[in-house]
Amino acid sequence: MPQVRIIAKNFMDMVASLPTMKLDKLYTNPFICQAILRSLPPLAKKYVLEMLYIDGPVSAKMLEEWVLTDGSSKHRVAVDRLIQLRIFSETVDRKKESSYKLNTTFQINLRKHLTDREVLPREPMPPNIVARLSSSEELEAYALGQWECFLLQLINSTQAEKPTNFSSSMMKIFQRGLLSQRDKEAPRLTESGFQFLLMDTNAQLWYIIREYISNSEERDIDSADLISFLLELSFHITGEAYNMNTLTEIERHMIKDLADLGLVKLQQGRKESWFIPTKLATNLSVSLTDSSSRKQGFVVVETNFRMYAYSTSKLHCEILRLFSRVEYQLPNLIVGAITKESLYNAFENGITAEQIISFLQQNAHPRVAERIPTVPENVTDQIRLWESDLNRVEMTPAHFYDEFPSRDVFEAACDFAREWSGLLWEDSKKMRMVVKAEIHMQMREFLRGQK
Amino acid sequence: MGHGEKGRPYKKLKSSKDEHRSIAMEDEDVYFGEAEDDYRDDGDKEGKKRDFSKLELKLDHASRPLWACADGRIFLETFSPLYKQAYDFLIAIAEPVCRPESMHEYNLTPHSLYAAVSVGLETETIIAVLNKLSKTKLPQEMIDFIHASTANYGKVKLVLKKNRYLVESPFPEVLKRLLKDEVISRARITPEAHGNDGFTISKTAGEIATGHDGLLNEAELAAAAEEKETHAFEIDPSQVENVKQRCLPNALNYPMLEEYDFRNDTVNPDLDMELKPHAQPRPYQEKSLSKMFGNGRARSGIIVLPCGAGKSLVGVSAACRIKKSCLCLATNAVSVDQWAFQFQLWSTIRDEHICRFTSDSKERFQGNAGVVVTTYNMVAFGGKRSEESEKIIEEIRNREWGLLLMDEVHVVPAHMFRKVISLTKSHCKLGLTATLVREDERITDLNFLIGPKLYEANWLDLVKGGFIANVQCAEVWCPMTKEFFAEYLKKENSKKKQALYVMNPNKFRACEFLIRFHEQQRGDKIIVFADNLFALTEYAMKLRKPMIYGATSHAERTKILQAFKTSKEVNTIFLSKVGDNSIDIPEANVIIQISSHAGSRRQEAQRLGRILRAKGKHQDRMAGGKEEYNAFFYSLVSTDTQEMYYSTKRQQFLIDQGYSFKVITSLPPPDSGADLSYYHLDEQLSLLAKVLNAGDDAVGLEQLEEDADDIALHKARRSMGSMSAMSGAKGMVYMEYSTGRNKLGQGQIKSKPKDPSKRHHLFKRRYG
Repeated sequence: MPQVRIIAKNFMDMVASLPTMKLDKLYTNPFICQAILRSLPPLAKKYVLEMLYIDGPVSAKMLEEWVLTDGSSKHRVAVDRLIQLRIFSETVDRKKESSYKLNTTFQINLRKHLTDREVLPREPMPPNIVARLSSSEELEAYALGQWECFLLQLINSTQAEKPTNFSSSMMKIFQRGLLSQRDKEAPRLTESGFQFLLMDTNAQLWYIIREYISNSEERDIDSADLISFLLELSFHITGEAYNMNTLTEIERHMIKDLADLGLVKLQQGRKESWFIPTKLATNLSVSLTDSSSRKQGFVVVETNFRMYAYSTSKLHCEILRLFSRVEYQLPNLIVGAITKESLYNAFENGITAEQIISFLQQNAHPRVAERIPTVPENVTDQIRLWESDLNRVEMTPAHFYDEFPSRDVFEAACDFAREWSGLLWEDSKKMRMVVKAEIHMQMREFLRGQK
Repeated sequence: MGHGEKGRPYKKLKSSKDEHRSIAMEDEDVYFGEAEDDYRDDGDKEGKKRDFSKLELKLDHASRPLWACADGRIFLETFSPLYKQAYDFLIAIAEPVCRPESMHEYNLTPHSLYAAVSVGLETETIIAVLNKLSKTKLPQEMIDFIHASTANYGKVKLVLKKNRYLVESPFPEVLKRLLKDEVISRARITPEAHGNDGFTISKTAGEIATGHDGLLNEAELAAAAEEKETHAFEIDPSQVENVKQRCLPNALNYPMLEEYDFRNDTVNPDLDMELKPHAQPRPYQEKSLSKMFGNGRARSGIIVLPCGAGKSLVGVSAACRIKKSCLCLATNAVSVDQWAFQFQLWSTIRDEHICRFTSDSKERFQGNAGVVVTTYNMVAFGGKRSEESEKIIEEIRNREWGLLLMDEVHVVPAHMFRKVISLTKSHCKLGLTATLVREDERITDLNFLIGPKLYEANWLDLVKGGFIANVQCAEVWCPMTKEFFAEYLKKENSKKKQALYVMNPNKFRACEFLIRFHEQQRGDKIIVFADNLFALTEYAMKLRKPMIYGATSHAERTKILQAFKTSKEVNTIFLSKVGDNSIDIPEANVIIQISSHAGSRRQEAQRLGRILRAKGKHQDRMAGGKEEYNAFFYSLVSTDTQEMYYSTKRQQFLIDQGYSFKVITSLPPPDSGADLSYYHLDEQLSLLAKVLNAGDDAVGLEQLEEDADDIALHKARRSMGSMSAMSGAKGMVYMEYSTGRNKLGQGQIKSKPKDPSKRHHLFKRRYG
């Protein structure tokens, strides 16, 4: 999905846009260096690795020689990115020849990482203290459950089973851009909100995390601290317990929020308390471009516009409700119908036919996924047709004129409007006309002159 | 679309229990307009969402095929390994709502359960099997519902044995309760003191074919097959109707199942007829017959098979098994001929034992047993008859028929059935239909007048098996031309709306394009349907194609159909709605529909049925065979008009059977079509002028007059003019003859010219 990449890039953009001071501070953490390295475009990764043990600057010319002639555009992108992230510093000598040098802190930390595998600031707790650890399946289910609960609260606060710790103001920030609220009406999902729901979990997580970080300054938390903790967290081992007392004050506060998002599971022993990172946390530093972790599809659409979703998720139900009429909810099945009314409702909220269709296709149940097309052609056609039906009416701001003093004035006005190619409609019997709004001023002038 | 006409075109009229629905049915095409519109309306109300997510899932739910909801809805996965068994079971106990590819929906209704118990399923069996198939624990509501619905049904049978009418039941206490009723106790013929309660006791065989092997454990199977002791008392033959009446749900609520122990009937003479060896019933035909003859007796009921799937073979087979005199009722003279032909084709019946009784041919069979094929009208007709037909009808009335075979039961209104059934004495009634539209309240009447639905085939399964044609359905959107649309919107043209959207030049061009394409590129045979007579003639004349409508004489019809069948020159015929039902045109494989009757789902299905008869080699038609589609159904609609609204409604039945309608928006393709008619604006405008200048009567729907007894025809029609009858006051909701009072709101153009001088010129001939 293209929009995923846009948001992911924005996250690194955000890192890149941090002031020099903070960026340098980030690079003191070897884990962050590693995470940044992972996020780079392939060519940029190569340059960094090539230059890892070169202490001095490398001339731009030499760098260019490393790539094939047709790779120059990619080369440009890679170098720009590296400069943006302040991994490269550019110097221009007197001959106007530029050369690049790796950021020293970044370089040292990466080298360190290569030679003596960097140790996390905390060790997993020995199993004898932690009574019973959840299996990886349980943990995954927990993480997804938490995340879904959060999403449900995000799009429809009344449906959530248990409220999260997030303050309503924090929630509002998350909802910004995803929901729109006209006065007194219940908030509704916007187009990008729907897009958001259609993204896979990792991409959604990045989006929320980004909002979380960019908002941190208001809560007197240094965004660099947040970023470094988050990236550090991604290097912990899934399913292991880590003692809470290894965390700083800020981190301990933060970890509660992260638990709400399903990144970690908090547990309390008799004496100690600990957190267990989930897959969501460890996936944070995985490059987003290869989000191969496709979820299994669950939707079957039939030729009679009926839709059967194999899901126990309330969130799915809410998503389906956005563009269909949910008729039955069973323990593991949601039955709905795609109707003209339900679609018109969706279109009105800015959701497009293509989005709905791609949602249905991408989430097709394995039973029908191999079928071509996965969603019956007559259904997709109809969805598109209904959308285009709505777009047939073109709106033109206009002004209506009547009560002309005489037929001459009326006809002159019509001619005038025609000359300006602004005449939309005329009724010569009753002497009425409609004129495009943009020539309203000229028209008024003209009529004044006629008097 | 719709322009404020989105409301339901007909207001729903509660059918009154008025016995005096005196309107004679002389028209083959009576649609229950009412039923068409109630369908699905309840589902439209938001907030009627049903949340059954709290039902308890069984641990091995993945291997079980269905979900059952407390409100009676059942969802069935078609890809489950248990699908076949579950399908057979569900079709016996529930009404199919829709049956597309992956998931079927069914509804448990009192009627469907009535049908279930009448084919020998017992309450506890139904619950046990359902529970076995369900992914969740069965909701208590559903269990209660099944108990409540089956408590009384199927407990009492009316059996004609050795010409004595016996009321039979395995439960003596039920019989005792019945006898407390005055009418029934008076009807009873008491034999000399027998046992203590005076009931005769006998044993009957249990169900032979349960068909649910593997779903029931052995004990249950044994119970089903075990011989049951039944108790019975005899009633006076003349009181049978009254007794049956008393047992209906509105009285004692022990509706009686009718069974005919034809093997032990020694009084009525046997008819010597067998199926010919080449008549091999297909698996689904066998299955429907096994439902009918499940316990060695003949049950009354309805069998639903799509058009072209071989209904007539089922009918003939049933008659051959019973081997007694058979009265076969069809809707019109053409199909009477076809039925008579089917009997001769499939069975060894001797020609002198089969006869037709219509206004044109009044034959009588020789000997003491035979088959009579006639129309509903001929039997139910209440007016004066010719002497000859009076004699024949007298014979029909007096004879005890072994089988009353009724074709196309969906088009015949209930009062008609009452009349037919009360006039004729039959031991067993078999109704055949392709489209039993279930939301019709009158289904109740059918259920109790004929019997429960015994079998209903799944269209898609028959398509997959290659038994019926695989039809590509398409809805062609034809934008209204500017000029036509402007006129369409004008108030003063409200009566011409239909003519305007049917005569839309873009529609004409699309039609012409399709005809050319299929005639020239594929060498297909095409039927074009138009309800609107004005359009039918305009189209046919302009395109120089033969047409058949109500007033076309029998001889001319036969000639045109013969030419269509044999000539390479005649590849397209235009049909008015006379062609909707029964006329068998096996050669056709393309239908183009240019106008239709409002939102009638049944008409749509019937028309589709015209091309369902499978053509070509069987293996080519099987799934994955050479030809994916071998038949085409186009419905041409003018966009932004009422037609769009209706067309969605019309397609619902077929869509629920798993058909999909592909929407085609640009026909003819943008870069072609200059050689088609009405390419130039001036041609279009002159067409428009023609439409506008035509009288309101001329542009209306065709009004059919059909096969009634020849003599009293005119008199009978005049009696139909009664406004109160037409307005629905007598429970008549919609008829083609009506004067329009009950559908003023529809924007339909229909008016019945009462004054013969105002009649459309095409009708004048008949009126002399």
